[in-house]
Parts: sequence; C-alpha cells; structure tokens
Amino acid sequence: MNEIKKTYKNYVGGKYVRSESGKTFRIDLKNDFYEVPLTSRKDIRDAVVAAKKGYSNWQKLSPYNKTQVLYRLSEMLEGNFETYQQLLQDAGLTKAKASEDIHKAVDTIIWYAGMADKWEQMTGNLNPVAGDFFNISHQESLGVVFTLNSNNQSLNSLLLNMLPALTVGCAVISFNEENSVIALKLAEDINNSDLPGGALNIMSGKFELLIEDVSNHVEITAMAIYKEINNHDKKIIKENASKSLKRIFINPPTMGLEALFPFIETKTVWHPKGR
Amino acid sequence: MNKWEYAESIESSSIVNIDKKYGIFIDGNFQSANSKKFIKTISPSTEEVLSSVTLGNEIDINSAVESAKEGLKIWSKISGTERAKYLFKLARLIQERSREFAVLETLDGGKPIKESRDFDLPQVAANFFYFAGWADKLDLSWNAKGLKPYGIIGQIIPWNFPLLMLSWKVAPALATGNVVILKPAESTPLTAILFAELCQEVGLPPGVFNLVTGDGTTGAALVKHPDISKIAFTGSTGVGKYIQKETADRDIGLTLELGGKAANIVFNDAAIDQAVEGVVNGIFFNQGHVCCAGSRLVLQEDIHDEFVTKLEKRMQSLRVGNPLDKNTDIGAINSKEQLDKITNLVNEGVKEGGSIFQTDCELPQNGFWFKPTLFTNAQPSYRISREEIFGPVLTTLTFRTPEEAIEISNNTEYGLSAGIWTEKGSKILWAADRLQAGVIWANTFNKFDPSSPFGGYKESGFGREGGRHGLLSYLKVQS
Amino acid sequence: MSSIKESKNILKWSDTVELVDNLRVDEVGLKERVASLASRSIKKDSKLQALNYIISMCDLTTLEGEDTEGKIGQMTAKAIRPDPSNDEVPSVAAVCVYPALVSKAKEMTRNSNVKVASVSSYFPSGQAPLESKILDTQFAIDQGADEIDIVINRKAFFEGDYRKMYDEIVALKEVCKSVHLKTILEVGELRTYENIKKASLISLAAGSDFIKTSTGKISNGSSREACYLMAKAVWDYKTVTGFKAGIKVAGGIRDSKDAIRYLVIVNEELGSEWLNPDYFRFGASSLVDDVLKQIKKLKTNAYQSSYYFPRG
Repeated sequence: MNEIKKTYKNYVGGKYVRSESGKTFRIDLKNDFYEVPLTSRKDIRDAVVAAKKGYSNWQKLSPYNKTQVLYRLSEMLEGNFETYQQLLQDAGLTKAKASEDIHKAVDTIIWYAGMADKWEQMTGNLNPVAGDFFNISHQESLGVVFTLNSNNQSLNSLLLNMLPALTVGCAVISFNEENSVIALKLAEDINNSDLPGGALNIMSGKFELLIEDVSNHVEITAMAIYKEINNHDKKIIKENASKSLKRIFINPPTMGLEALFPFIETKTVWHPKGR
Repeated sequence: MNKWEYAESIESSSIVNIDKKYGIFIDGNFQSANSKKFIKTISPSTEEVLSSVTLGNEIDINSAVESAKEGLKIWSKISGTERAKYLFKLARLIQERSREFAVLETLDGGKPIKESRDFDLPQVAANFFYFAGWADKLDLSWNAKGLKPYGIIGQIIPWNFPLLMLSWKVAPALATGNVVILKPAESTPLTAILFAELCQEVGLPPGVFNLVTGDGTTGAALVKHPDISKIAFTGSTGVGKYIQKETADRDIGLTLELGGKAANIVFNDAAIDQAVEGVVNGIFFNQGHVCCAGSRLVLQEDIHDEFVTKLEKRMQSLRVGNPLDKNTDIGAINSKEQLDKITNLVNEGVKEGGSIFQTDCELPQNGFWFKPTLFTNAQPSYRISREEIFGPVLTTLTFRTPEEAIEISNNTEYGLSAGIWTEKGSKILWAADRLQAGVIWANTFNKFDPSSPFGGYKESGFGREGGRHGLLSYLKVQS
Repeated sequence: MSSIKESKNILKWSDTVELVDNLRVDEVGLKERVASLASRSIKKDSKLQALNYIISMCDLTTLEGEDTEGKIGQMTAKAIRPDPSNDEVPSVAAVCVYPALVSKAKEMTRNSNVKVASVSSYFPSGQAPLESKILDTQFAIDQGADEIDIVINRKAFFEGDYRKMYDEIVALKEVCKSVHLKTILEVGELRTYENIKKASLISLAAGSDFIKTSTGKISNGSSREACYLMAKAVWDYKTVTGFKAGIKVAGGIRDSKDAIRYLVIVNEELGSEWLNPDYFRFGASSLVDDVLKQIKKLKTNAYQSSYYFPRG
C-alpha cells in the first residue's frame, strides 16, 4: 500500500500549527497508524497566549450566541459522519459502535449547546439577606482551562471532556494522547464552526513531558484531568498548582449541572435599596 | 466652651468565667490532651494573660479523628430534621448567651465590644439559624446528582473573627451531615472553647464537633491526617498554598478563603459622604483585620482633594482605645507579631515615597495599637499598594477613566472583594462585570449575611462559604 | 454672646446652582451611619454636660392659636430659670413665639440672656405672597425679635422653582439685616434625603444663619437623618464659603436620650465648636422637662416626677 497519509497538526488560536519542535509521534490504531504533533513546552506557552485571546472573545459572546455556535458544531459533525465513522473503525470500533458513538457525540453537543444559555439560571440566585440590600450571586467562567482528555477512542468522550468548560465560557486547551487522531480530526470541524479562534485549542502529545510546564503555568486557571493518573503525577500537578492556587479537578463529572461546577466562579454583588 | 468628651462606658467583663487551663474537646467532653504543652492566650489590649490552652500535638489530632469517626457513625444515621434541631438549638443558645460571647471575644481578640456585640454575635447566631434550615432539604438545594457529605472535615480558622469564622465553618458542615475537627487560631481560642460547652449543653452527639487548640504545628498535623476528607481553611494565602501543596497526594476537598487587597473604587459621581463612610468602614472595621478589607482606595483624580479632606476629617473622629469601652471604634491590634508586620509595611510605605496621614488619637500604654493611617501619593508599584497589610492602613491610588479604575483594581494576585461607589446604575453593573472578585459591594462595603456566598477569585482562594453555594463546599460531587 | 453673625453670607445664584448640582445621597448608607452614631453610650459626667448643653440650646416654644400673654409669661419665666431648685441649670437660649406675642416676650426677658425668636413668613405653610411675608417679618422685628424663624417656599421647591425659593429667603434676609435668620426646611414634607440636602444648601446660600428641620406642626417633624444631612450641608457650605452656619432641630424631640443623639451627630460630624447655642438649637416644649428630670436623677440617683418642675 502506498497511499498518501494525512499529517495532522495541532489546532491553536484558530490555526493549524506544527509543533515548533518539529517532532511528531506515531499513534497506532487498530487498523491504521498516524503521525501527530508531539507538543512541546513552547507550544503550550503559545497555546496559553492564544487561549487567553480566545477567552476574551468567547466569554463575551451572549449566551444565545454561544448556543448557536455550539449547535452549529453538531451540524458539522453530522455532515462528516462517514469520516468519523471510518476513523473510529480504524481505531477498532465496529461500524455499529462507531455510529453509536457519533450519534451520542451529536447528542452531547446538543445538550451542551442548549445549556449555554441556561446554566446561569440554575446556578445563580438572589440571596435573601437581612437589611435593605439587593444581593445576587451569579457565575462567571474561570478563564483558561487545560483538559487532559480520556484515552477512549471515542468522539463522545472527547466532547464530554471539552464541552463542560467551553459551555460556561472558558477557553480550553484540550490535550490528547492516544485519542489524538480523533481530536485533531474534530479540530477541522471546530475550525469550520463559528467558535472564535483560541476558544478551543486541540493538541496532541505526551502529558508526562509537559506536566511541569502545564501545572506551573500561572495563566492556566484550572486543570481538569479526565483520565486515571498515577499518584506521583497527581502530586506534581497539585504541588505546582499550589504556587498560584490553580484549581485542579481529577475526574470531574462530565454531564449534568455538576459537570459545570469546576469551571465557574461565583460572584456576589450587593447594592442598597433606597430612595 | 469645653470640648465634650465621652466618659468611659465600659462593658463589664464579670459576665465571663475563664478557667486557668483548658484541655481539648473530643468525644463530647473536655479532656486533658496528650500534649502537656500550653499556650498562653493574652488580651491584646492589656497584655494580661487570660488563660492557658492546650498546644495540641499529632497524637491529640489522632484522638480527635478517632472521636470524629465515632461521631460520624451517629451523625450519618440521624435524619436531616434531627440535625436541624441541634443547629437551631445552638443558634438559640448563642443568642441567649451572646453578651458573654461578645465580651469574651473582645477580651481575647481586642476588637471593640460595639462590633462583637452588634456584628459578630448576631451574625454567628444567624449563621446557625440559616444552615439549620438547610439540613433537612439538601436534596432541594442543587439540581445535581451524587451530592454526599465528605465525612470528617478539618477546619482551621483565623483570629480576626474567631467565633464568626467558626460559625461559617461549623454550621454548614454539620448541616450537610459532616463532622468537624476545629483548630482555632493560636491567639483567639476562647470563644471556640465556650462554643464547645454549648455543644455539650444541647447534647450534640459526642464526636460530631471536636476542638483541638494549638498553633501552626497543630494545624499542620490536622492537614496531614489521612482520614480527613476535607480541609476548610481561612487565613493567609501563604498558608493556603501550603495546604494545597501538603495535600497534593491525596484526594481531598479543599475550601480556601485567603487574603485580599480589595479595591474600593470611588467615582466622581458617587454619593460622597456615604462613600467616605463606606471607605472608613471598609478599612477600619475590626482594625483592618479583615481579609476583604477595602485596603486600596481607588479614587477618581478629579475628586481626590475633596474626598481626602473629608476622609481625613472623618478619620479624626475614630475613637481608638479600650475595646470594652462601648464608644471605641478601633480596638487593639490582635498580636505583637501583627503589630510589627503593620509597622514594618507602613515604614516601608513612607520610605517608598507615600504621604502618610495618621490621626491625632492617643494610644494606651499597654497592649498593641496602631493609629488609623492613610497613604496618599502612593504608586501602584509600592508594597503598601500590593501587599495585604491586615491593619488599619489605607492606600490611595488615583484613576482618570473607568477602564483605568478596573485595570488598577484587578492588578493584584488577589480577588476576594471590591467596592464600587457611583450613583450611576449602569456604571455599577459595567464595573461589577469586570472586577475579578468574589464579592462586590456597590455603594456599600463589608456587608455579610449567612445567605450570601463569600469567597475569592484568583489567589484569594477557592470555594464559597455562605448561602446555597456554600453548601457545595461541604457536599462532594461524585461522578 | 456672639449670636449675631456676619450677614454678608449670601452666595450668588450661579454659585448656588453649582453647589446643589448633582447632589447625591444614599439612603441606606446614611441610615447606617446615623444608626451607628446613635449607639454611642453617653454616661456620667459626659451625660450631665450634655444635659446642660441641651437646656442652654433650647428654644422654648409655644406656637398655638390659643397663646395668650399669660401663657407667654409662664413660659418666659421658665425659660430664664428652668429649675428654680438648682442654680447650676442654665437659662434656655430663647423663647419662640408668634409675631403678635413678641413684645410681651421681649418685656418678660429684658433682664436675662434669653433671646426672643419669632416665626414669620406665614408660618407654618408659607403659602402667601412675598410682600406679605416681608410685612410679617418686618412686624416681628419691629416688635423686638432677636431672631426670625421663616419657612422655605415648599410650593416653589416642589415646582422646581428653586430660584424663587432662594430669592424669597434673600429678600427676607434683607429685612432681617443683623437679626438672626433661621430657615425652616420642613424636612418631613421634603421627604427624600436629596431634597433635604438641596434645600439646606439653597437656604444657606440665600443667607440663612441657621437651618431648621421643622415647624413642629407636622407629625414627622425632625429626624436624626435630616440633622445629619443638614450638618453635612453646613460643613460643605463652610468649605466653599468659610461661613459657619448653625442648625436647629425641632419637631418631635421629646426626651433627653433622643436629644443626646442629636448632640452626638453634631459633635462628630461638625465638632465641639458647634456645641453651643450660637450654632445648635433645639426647638422644643416638653423636652426641657425631661432633661431637668434627668439632671436631677443624675444628682440624686432617683427617678423624678414632673411635678417637681414648673410649668412652662
């Protein structure tokens, strides 16, 4: 066989980029293999810069607008159904399982798309304080979130790892290891959606090479780890996180209102009521 | 005519009975600890020794954990309604004995009786009342699956609002079905001890509330104990970081309520006289020993002179002195150590080039005191503009445009609170959206309520205390 | 006694407009501050000192249709010597009467320091043409009044004709010349705190020596919040012009405890130099009796009955 293989790139700041190191690594799927970027420390630094910019553009969109952007993503996915199906089959899923995974993924997006303009009504409330004050608690997105995604060869898992943070308005650096091919494929649909550049950055690599840099980076406000990690790594992450009180979440929920809790910050505003 | 001086009006301290020595409170009783070391707790206004409390060690923490395990067995079996009743009873008892608590708080911590009587104690009782009512309706609190109590909570509280911080921590923890090991601050353990007596009085099951007094080493032993499922800490950002680091290898819940350097922004269209009051209350309340104190006055340049003149005049009317005097506005600095820290930072501010104004008040001979202090001509780069002083010291910075006000205000690693003073509604909402802080007071400052969530952004910590959101600090979300 | 102050204290209308432009008051913050001042604990010597201040600052008042020369006789006697059993108790500052009774009051007080104040300008409503108000005021002065208490034109105020309100006070000030002018705002009708501060500043700008809370003829006469705001206005006006105006609180202040709270406001917001009859007054009828009881209680440690003290 002598077919020309596609080389995937990282998707950062709305652009496809090679690792500045020029390095790649090989992902062996059950029925095929691919070369994907081996993200370097500098790539992470660049991604944070891009994510910060993306954050300011994404979080300021109205919730209604966010809903539409996310919904459009589901349309893109449906449109590329067969491509994903093939990829998942290459990864070892049966055709039926692959199809089921894509349907679930679409449903996941639909759920989160519809959540973007509702969650604030479920998490915020007026507080019945004593005295002549209007007092309300509402939520804001945390900022730049690094997600270490599950290794499942599953489009749905991938989306369940990126969407909770994204839906509330965070910018996400979505980091992938063994599921990188699917993730980087998804980047193409992200690129064609209306998501502002930098709001969702998709990268591939070996987390163990970057654990220090990511957990030490002060402008990454939170890390969500959606896979099992060993105690040694957990310790490194949390110890480094403590330098800037970075929020660390190990295997947080992926569906339901509770999936959003890690990525929101409660702001309470008081004002007197008088003449 | 003569000046009208207010005669001393001293709250009698005969209402409190303080033992010479205290043990630790575990298994529902006071008992002598394994540690034979004691800490003297003094009154910072007179330096008189009030009592000696146990300096709890690792073995004492172990005993407290064993007690808590037994407590948890009982506590997890009883219904929410029963838990509510205990908390309601505690709330009522605190109200009934509030004068005693207030006097004790003032003796031990140095805060004015006016504040312990009119602020701390009513808030303490209100916290127990508020969270009592949640105990039997946790299922209605959040539309989220798998919310369960953590189990044994280690709670470490500071010396600025000793009993109030106890209530912020203990009431929601117990309401949500957890049990507690509390480590009060080294310099202010006495009201926590009195609270333990109340727990006995209401018949709280043994082991549900445990108290181990001590210093930083006692706190560290608590943080390190493997059977603690959650640490709730209020204190400095430095210690908060230590706790996050120390617990790095464990799956443990953390609520950290840490330092602040809050901006109190005054726009030129503010109600100036009320803004002056708010700024004064923002920084001089509780001697400035307040994590959310409005320690940076961020003032629109065109009203600088008018505002500072009014502020200085108002500061002159602050009465500094014996905290038991009902007319005292500013009491004693909590400890010698804290006084030294404040003094050093203020000296630094003068060296850096800030213009200092201090009021003419006379300070008592004994005890620890600091005059209400205002810096003008300070630059954002000065240490007094960046570091938490935790004392009655206000630093003024100026701005020209609303954008600049926000930039100056957010230019800090902290994000606990912020103040906005303007009579223009849309500007309040505009600013509130942009200020990175967990609590925003618009046209008011330093307001608290059990139903109102409190907690910070950025390095002011994470998690919320108070309100419906505060429940989530004590309920584990299981995936 | 220097109760007659410099009268060249009128601020031009254009400057007045600048002064009252964009007045802002936050009700909740204001009440919070006033409540906090009310928690001052005034005991022992400082209480006795306060009670004596209050007596010396009282304008003993009767403003009824049924007032007669006989009634004025009783009241002035009490004004001069409020407690015949205690020589340490000072005279009150003034008696306050209708213009028709000024000459009687003047005659009764001629051998004392007690001033005679007269209400005028169609007190209490002020609903009369300026010409009538001028005549009313001129009459009282001709009768010998040392002080004139006028009312602001609330009709003009609520119609937004602040200029008219200002002009009337300026005109009456001209009639008064060196006679002390106190201007009544009737804060209970103004209702909002911004109105109270605005009316205070306009009244001061128009030449008032004092601003006064109420006529005492409506149920919500004085309030500590109003007094606080008026103190703030007096301070602001002093900052701008250097003129030190006084405050008179009247309407509903019946007991010592309440009166002491007013004193605290003035003491802490303006300073102890305002704590004398030149700068602070209480308009009252029954307050004096309670203060006398309290003074006696402090001396004897026994609670008193009003029949020990003469009728006013």
